[in-house]
Amino acid sequence: MGVIIEGKGLTKSFGGLTAVKKVDFHLNKGEIVGLIGPNGAGKTTLFNLMSGVYHPEEGTLSFNGMEITSLKSFEICRLGIARTFQIVRPFLKMSCLENVLIGIIGRGDPREGIKAKGEEARKLLKFVSLEGHEKNSANNLTLIEKKRLEMARALATQPRLLLLDEVLAGLNPSEILQALELIEVIRTQLKMTIFWIEHVMGAIMKASDRIIVLDQGEKIKEGRPEEVVNDSKVIEAYLGESDA
Amino acid sequence: MSELLMYLTNGIVIGVINAISAIGVSLIVGIMKVVNFAHGELYIFAGYFSYHLSVSLGVPPLLAMPLSIFLIFLIGIGMERTLIRPTYGDEMYSLIITFVLSIVLQNAALLIFGPYPQKPPNWVTGAMNIFGLYHYGNQRILSFFISIGVLLSIFYLIKRTWFGKSIRAISQDREMAALVGVDHLKVNMLAFGLGAALAGAAGVVLSPIFPVTPSGSSSVSLNAFIVVVLGGMGSLKGCVVGGLILGILENLGAAYISTMYRHIFGFIILILVLVFRPWGLFGQKTQ
Repeated sequence: MGVIIEGKGLTKSFGGLTAVKKVDFHLNKGEIVGLIGPNGAGKTTLFNLMSGVYHPEEGTLSFNGMEITSLKSFEICRLGIARTFQIVRPFLKMSCLENVLIGIIGRGDPREGIKAKGEEARKLLKFVSLEGHEKNSANNLTLIEKKRLEMARALATQPRLLLLDEVLAGLNPSEILQALELIEVIRTQLKMTIFWIEHVMGAIMKASDRIIVLDQGEKIKEGRPEEVVNDSKVIEAYLGESDA
Repeated sequence: MSELLMYLTNGIVIGVINAISAIGVSLIVGIMKVVNFAHGELYIFAGYFSYHLSVSLGVPPLLAMPLSIFLIFLIGIGMERTLIRPTYGDEMYSLIITFVLSIVLQNAALLIFGPYPQKPPNWVTGAMNIFGLYHYGNQRILSFFISIGVLLSIFYLIKRTWFGKSIRAISQDREMAALVGVDHLKVNMLAFGLGAALAGAAGVVLSPIFPVTPSGSSSVSLNAFIVVVLGGMGSLKGCVVGGLILGILENLGAAYISTMYRHIFGFIILILVLVFRPWGLFGQKTQ
């Protein structure tokens, strides 16, 4: 096992608003951990800190024992952290194959032939069930297909840790099942650690080993799914204070 | 008839060179949102470099040409590292910096090379009979084919190579490209160097035909901006079509209306485009 990523005392504020306040957390290798909390709790900000979009004002982040607090996005990506977005962001003016190729190119070595990269990209598209869409512009895909494409592009960077930001949002129940299947395959076949923001509670409670709950930038609870759902603080954060 | 054909041919030759220069501007705008006002100065420097390399140092003209372009590429990279990189995130600063730089470089050219127009030696001499219709200078014919070669290489670079794909990804979504591991700072630097090198390429190809002077730089920049606006921001195809249209119109206008008004035609095009189709011929309409 062993710890793959660890954050200590992470703080990030925007103007007067502290989005993430002294958050400590860690993920063990191979774990799937859910990150939940009401809107504005700082979940996406925490992901942004982990992927180098923002840098924390206080606190440190280490990945596989190496400090990554002030590294740039592309450096963090090359070390092995990839993410997907709540609102999908494929490169819309490029084909599906090119989208995945960018992830492969991003790994760094420009010398390995573009042909071998093409083969690898095709395999990844097949892995996320997008075969036949290679030449399609990303713009023409449906929402779930765009999400799959984004997943393939993230996988193309060969991550060890995958950050998923509300992958299930906007999907219908049967699509949710497909997405969950894909995540399970990624976890078991590719042996990836997954950190996962989700509002679809049923799904995340069932799939996660552990849940971390944020509220107004602070970590209010961490534990096994069944512990978390029954915690009074968590219920309060979601439903408001009880009068009793 | 043969006169008209010759003016048309002139227009096409100049048009292709216009296109090269404009692609240089378009690349830099598309990727970094930086408008390089010093574009024309880089063109002029390239012309002087190729003149001095071949005349003062005796380098063969066909070797002086790539050497000058390479020097301009290095200057471009130096500019990006020292002056442009600190301005990322605020387009206004880069606008001011490149504007100031254009004035500084123009005066530097005046100081270093003097005010006299200079013309690198022709690579070839003589003229060729085109289809029995008219005679056309070999120098211009060679310039045309070299320009076509440069254009094809650029298209190949952008459409087919890893560098081109990174460029396109960054121009669509910089943050996302960085998040999937593209080193956007390195691509910025190389792209700026490439944009500068294209100004240089246009300079070395055209200077044996039209001599360079330090004061000629602003019309080079303006031409490139007109072509980019006409073709549509961010479109390579637009740069080629726009460059040809401007080249042909300028030459026909100069021949049949007045040479004095040569540069007016560009502005007329610019105004018409801005009034009727501000997104250009191949650009994307944005709300």
